[in-house]
Amino acid sequence: MTGRCLYEKDLRPLKYNILTSTKHDATVRAIANRLGVSDAKLRRLLIQRLDMSLLENIETRWEMGLRYADDGDPLAKELGCELFSRFIPLLDQERMKEIYEETRALAQEIPFEGAIVRGKALIREAILS
Amino acid sequence: MSILQSIKNAVRSRSIHVSYIDVGSCNGCDIEVLACLAPRYDIEQYGIYVHNNPREADVLLVIGSVTPQWEDKLRNIWEKIPAPKAAIAIGNCPISGCVYARKGSLTTPPVKNYIPIAAEVPGCPPRPTEILSAILSVAPLIFKDYEEKQS
Amino acid sequence: MKKTVDVSIPLGPMHPCWKEPVRLKCETAGERVLHTEVELGYMKKGIERIMRGRPWQEVMFLAERVCGICSVVHNMVFIEAMELISDIAVPPRAAYLRVVANELDRVASHILANFSYCYTIEHETLAMYLLNTRERVLDNLERLTGSRINTAYMIPGGVRFDLLPEDAATMLADLAKVEEELKRYVQIFESGPLIGLRSRGIGYMSREDAIRAHTVGPTARASGVEDCDLRLRHPTYRALGFEQVTRTEGDNFARVMLRFQEVFQSIDLIRKCVDTLPAGHIRGGGLCRAGEVSYSGEAPRGELTYTIKTDDFGRVLDIAIRTPSIMNIEACAHYMVVNATSIADVTSTFISSDPCIACNER
Repeated sequence: MTGRCLYEKDLRPLKYNILTSTKHDATVRAIANRLGVSDAKLRRLLIQRLDMSLLENIETRWEMGLRYADDGDPLAKELGCELFSRFIPLLDQERMKEIYEETRALAQEIPFEGAIVRGKALIREAILS
Repeated sequence: MSILQSIKNAVRSRSIHVSYIDVGSCNGCDIEVLACLAPRYDIEQYGIYVHNNPREADVLLVIGSVTPQWEDKLRNIWEKIPAPKAAIAIGNCPISGCVYARKGSLTTPPVKNYIPIAAEVPGCPPRPTEILSAILSVAPLIFKDYEEKQS
Repeated sequence: MKKTVDVSIPLGPMHPCWKEPVRLKCETAGERVLHTEVELGYMKKGIERIMRGRPWQEVMFLAERVCGICSVVHNMVFIEAMELISDIAVPPRAAYLRVVANELDRVASHILANFSYCYTIEHETLAMYLLNTRERVLDNLERLTGSRINTAYMIPGGVRFDLLPEDAATMLADLAKVEEELKRYVQIFESGPLIGLRSRGIGYMSREDAIRAHTVGPTARASGVEDCDLRLRHPTYRALGFEQVTRTEGDNFARVMLRFQEVFQSIDLIRKCVDTLPAGHIRGGGLCRAGEVSYSGEAPRGELTYTIKTDDFGRVLDIAIRTPSIMNIEACAHYMVVNATSIADVTSTFISSDPCIACNER
């Protein structure tokens, strides 16, 4: 939203300011570690896709996501289905569901760990695209 | 002074529309401005109406040191207020930045750099009575004989 | 992720109902809200960045300027965190006086929140009644601490001023008046048919959503979340026999009514404190030392967490403040407001969660 509308301002520096706080920075690093992408790339994605209130709240969301997301389904928990579609909405829920179904089909053919690695790669690809 | 002007002066001194704007403070001053509305201070008995709409305001109360989002918008809001108009700085923040004017801060005080300020009420935060008396003493002075001064 | 919507309605940053600037962008279909986006940055002062590297004597005053409405509790949580780091004991009289100051602040804050709600649903009479009652509470806070808003009442190892017996008597008499007035206003609020239409069943948030979004304070307690009041874990409050208030409706009405109930509870707590005020000093000694701690306390809006790291001279090396409004505003914008039937309900729902933008952005 740069320069197109009268009242819209470029919010990227302001959003970046939010992420520079100690706790937020640690959370971003933890998320990047889990997803296997670099910190800087994840920061750019977060700034693009999340609104400012979500960014302020990212630490709590991440904690709550780790505690409550996908209870009772080991495959979904490993992939972080709800974690990355509901708690930290980097992906929309339809795309996440597709990846989940794909990985579940894979898990019947190859060992569980191998399927998880493939599923995680799919999620990373979908998030980065 | 023409008769019309004297009527205008009389009316204006008893009908002041106020809009307040927070440009980055701790909102302590905000709630002190709100407290002026309380029946104890009763801001409306002096003919002051708090609208929070810049387009029908006469007096703008500016609270807070200037944060990045307000750097351009503050000037816009000031231009939307119809003349005659006055801006009053409430609290230490718009005057000097108070505790926020330190190393590492994101604010860029004072407000004077962005819009002309007619009066300043120091305090962290000032009492509602001080805010009230500032509005009452400044507004009639500025609005007096406005049309004649223009011509 | 492009979406097609009917209208995108921006609310704010200057809005007649809002005390502080914030911008809500509501994407609507007709008048039904589909999705909201919150635009902040109007109050971002960078206070955590200012605090870093400063001695605690300075950070103490900065901490209470995070938020002017709940300044006492910011002061209290920061000081108690410092005491925890440096093993400073508080005299019992000072601990009780802290509770008095904190509860007075809570009463003022809750009444202000309910004032804003009544003002937003255009019940100006009740709003003005409430604002006038708040002044009476602030008078007592001023008599105790010497200031109305930014009090700086607590210091490591005690409090600054003692409560004189004549002041205590005036405070109790004033609070009795406040209680009597509030009972009337609560009755007005409960029985008003138009207030009911604007409040009951609007801005509903279920208990599961409240837990998953980690809402705190009155917003969570109105949705039926148990054991979320940190006063239950505070030693002084436990000695006073504090019990949490919970409601189960989860709508705007419940949130406002819960705040009223908490005000009555706070007044009871103050009364109990003043009656059983232990004799003795109000200031002990102590030295602030190096350490690291994460300490939470219950602010009027919910759980407030300070994570502090200090060095040997009591300088704050690193600090992170997690204020309750961060969670509450986010939950409000993404759970409560969605599916609101009209834009008018968006403002009232947003105000009912008692948003404090200055807290949120720091």
